[in-house]
Amino acid sequence: MKNAAWKWIVLVAPFVMLLPEPAAAAELELGTDAQQKAGKVVYERYCSQCHGTEGDGKGYAASHLRPRPRDFTSGKFKIRTTPSGALPTDDDLRRVIRDGMPYTTMIGWPNLSDQDVTNVIYYIKTFTKDFKNRDYYAQPIAIPEPPPHDADSAKKGREVYLQMECHRCHGDQGRADGASAPSLVNDAGEPILPADLTKRWTFRGGPARRDIYRTFSTGLNGTPMPSYADSLTDTQRWQLVDYVYSLGAADTPNYAERVVSRSIADDLDMTKGEALFDGAEGAFLPLFGQIVEPGRAFHPNATGIEVKAVHNREHIAFLLRWNDMRADRTGENSPALEAPETTETVEEAASQASSTEESDPFADAVEPEVAGDATDDFFSDDGSAETASGGEAGFSDAVAVQFPAALPDGIRLPYFIFGDPDNPVDIWFADLAKPAPQRFVGRGSRSVAPGNPDGLEMTASYDAGVWSVIFKRKRRQEDAMAIEGGQWYPVAFSVWDGLSGDRGNKRALTRWYYIYVEPAETVGPLRPMAKAAVATFGIEIVLIALIRRKHKNGVSIPPTNP
Amino acid sequence: MNLLVVLPILVALGALRLLKAGLLAWMIALWMAIYLTLRYGFAVPIPASVITLYMGITTMALATYVLSSRERFASCSRPLIALVVERRLRTLLIVVVLGLPLLVAARIYTNMSQPLQPPSFARTVHPAPPSEPITVRGQTFDLNAVENPFRNLEKSDPSQFRVHVENGRRVYYQNCVYCHGDNVQGDGLFAHGVNPIPTNFRDSGTIAMLQEGFLFWRIAKGGPGMPGEGGPWESAMPAWENFLTVDEMWDVILFLYDHTGQRPREVEEHAK
Repeated sequence: MKNAAWKWIVLVAPFVMLLPEPAAAAELELGTDAQQKAGKVVYERYCSQCHGTEGDGKGYAASHLRPRPRDFTSGKFKIRTTPSGALPTDDDLRRVIRDGMPYTTMIGWPNLSDQDVTNVIYYIKTFTKDFKNRDYYAQPIAIPEPPPHDADSAKKGREVYLQMECHRCHGDQGRADGASAPSLVNDAGEPILPADLTKRWTFRGGPARRDIYRTFSTGLNGTPMPSYADSLTDTQRWQLVDYVYSLGAADTPNYAERVVSRSIADDLDMTKGEALFDGAEGAFLPLFGQIVEPGRAFHPNATGIEVKAVHNREHIAFLLRWNDMRADRTGENSPALEAPETTETVEEAASQASSTEESDPFADAVEPEVAGDATDDFFSDDGSAETASGGEAGFSDAVAVQFPAALPDGIRLPYFIFGDPDNPVDIWFADLAKPAPQRFVGRGSRSVAPGNPDGLEMTASYDAGVWSVIFKRKRRQEDAMAIEGGQWYPVAFSVWDGLSGDRGNKRALTRWYYIYVEPAETVGPLRPMAKAAVATFGIEIVLIALIRRKHKNGVSIPPTNP
Repeated sequence: MNLLVVLPILVALGALRLLKAGLLAWMIALWMAIYLTLRYGFAVPIPASVITLYMGITTMALATYVLSSRERFASCSRPLIALVVERRLRTLLIVVVLGLPLLVAARIYTNMSQPLQPPSFARTVHPAPPSEPITVRGQTFDLNAVENPFRNLEKSDPSQFRVHVENGRRVYYQNCVYCHGDNVQGDGLFAHGVNPIPTNFRDSGTIAMLQEGFLFWRIAKGGPGMPGEGGPWESAMPAWENFLTVDEMWDVILFLYDHTGQRPREVEEHAK
């Protein structure tokens, strides 16, 4: 018996040693110590300022960033090809590092070498024990070739959208204005915004249809966005993709460089609403946070504003549209209000965040988690409830159009943030809690005084996540710069979000743009073309006649050798 | 240099030489060769106004060459006169006479159908700093002679130097990152909204060409502190003296050079 057992062991052992390692073990690509060490050098040079030296997402920049930098110790990664709750593959991590995440401060890092990226991935994996646990790994899901987009499928997708209650967060028309949108939090208890489906260039995982399909099939770990791999069939998911795709016009924002006001003959009847602007060229302009003057807005909610303009002989009208997750029509707002400078330090942010408990990475987040008091933390920078709620009644949404107060002399413009002492600006202002527009004269961001609102008209409406505000004014008015046809005028815009506690300097704004006011009669090219052609022809005939007269008897110049 | 353009031009000129072309053909060919080289021959495009200037000089030079001798003028004008006078060239003459007005009309059409271009302003990217000393947070700095007070730590106390660089890194990522970007190359979250675009510090044409005193001035006084030729009304660069201490500004300058591996331009000896 003893002998027989030995025989077996001796016979079989060499073959056992030759067998490949179990498949699961092969998945544990954790790198060598040297690779992790090399990754640490790269990480501390390029990543730790946001993600923290401990990988906990509490680097220097973290306190003002929305979305916050990834906390690698949580083991939760949003953009993956693996099923909900599972760890990402190395290629998933590589893709995010290489391409970045649009409209976040996570830019792409194309300059890093392949080896650096691989090493940094190995180092990132050391921040959580999860990567050593085979249970947290899973095979990537299959993403089939996208079937061609079709309108009928998008229509069916709309039904899926309502049935799955996507509108609760993303809003009825996808403008991120769902009822629970302002109070969503991630697993760490930090507030988080739903994606604005009309702006797919902001999708963190990419704007392509297969990217959207992937998000539906994998969910975004650690966020309220669940996976629909189990609840929707493949066809339904593609229908939903087609519906989401139909909500946005393009993969890129196509920001405009200028605004053109269209000349029309009719009265500018404001009761027509947006129809008044039919045929006018829309200009989508990027908004950025006012972080230049004290009272800074590091993460404004509005990222772009669509501008249209029309005019007749007497008046000019502007249509301003921007997405806002909630209409704030109570309280007040004004460009002259004092906005507190942000005081939050990294340490405060860190102590706040560390009080939230860890949660299981496999916890399903099908139901959006809602925290009633999270709003203030997210939208205000200093985290104080007082700031965001604005005392008793809060702050209302507001919008402004800014012109130079007088036609600029040469190239010199007023300072783009509410002018300067020598070069004031004319601010048309709509506090959306009030029915009438206001006017302000800006001589610098801390020197904004009320002006005379006579002659300025305004209407405003909010529908399914979009504000639509129309301003109208006489083109020639005693106390303002005249707006003449065929001319360019500097113009800038500002948006205040009441929900974020925006007021005064704390807002989203644009730089100076130029608006072209079409002349009443436009000159076609035909007439000047014909004139120039006839003139040229005439000169030719005269020249030919002169030369022929001089050389009646053929070429009379004797040939020469040059 | 764009060799795909320049080489064919040289080949064409060589062919003219082999064909023993006349002076008129040479003048036209040279004019076109210079124009095409200026327009398409360089990897970095030359501004249209500069091309116009160069072509004006070229035209004058060629005209002077032709007009400076009776023989040259004659050999240039003879083919032209022949075209007008000689019966056998009548078809060609008709083509030219009708073709020129069409070209003029086409030119006007392309000019008029250009997309509307808003007025632009050619700003000076690195305007000259003021010659008078500047005051930042109560301290006075002579920009011609000022040096980074922490630069000497690089040799005298490397560990203290690292502390300052690290503090500069903190300052950068809490304040500058929104426009100048994570990788300090001017592509931050808000960069697409501002004009002029934020400086790319990795570009060898930026901080490596400048003294630390210049950076200190630009950081402390920002867009509003620029002289007129820099376009102070449109720059979104904050005047950081409103937010940062003097030491923080010097630290962030240390960080920018350290992180990009560049060296500041030295202060000239005579200015010290």
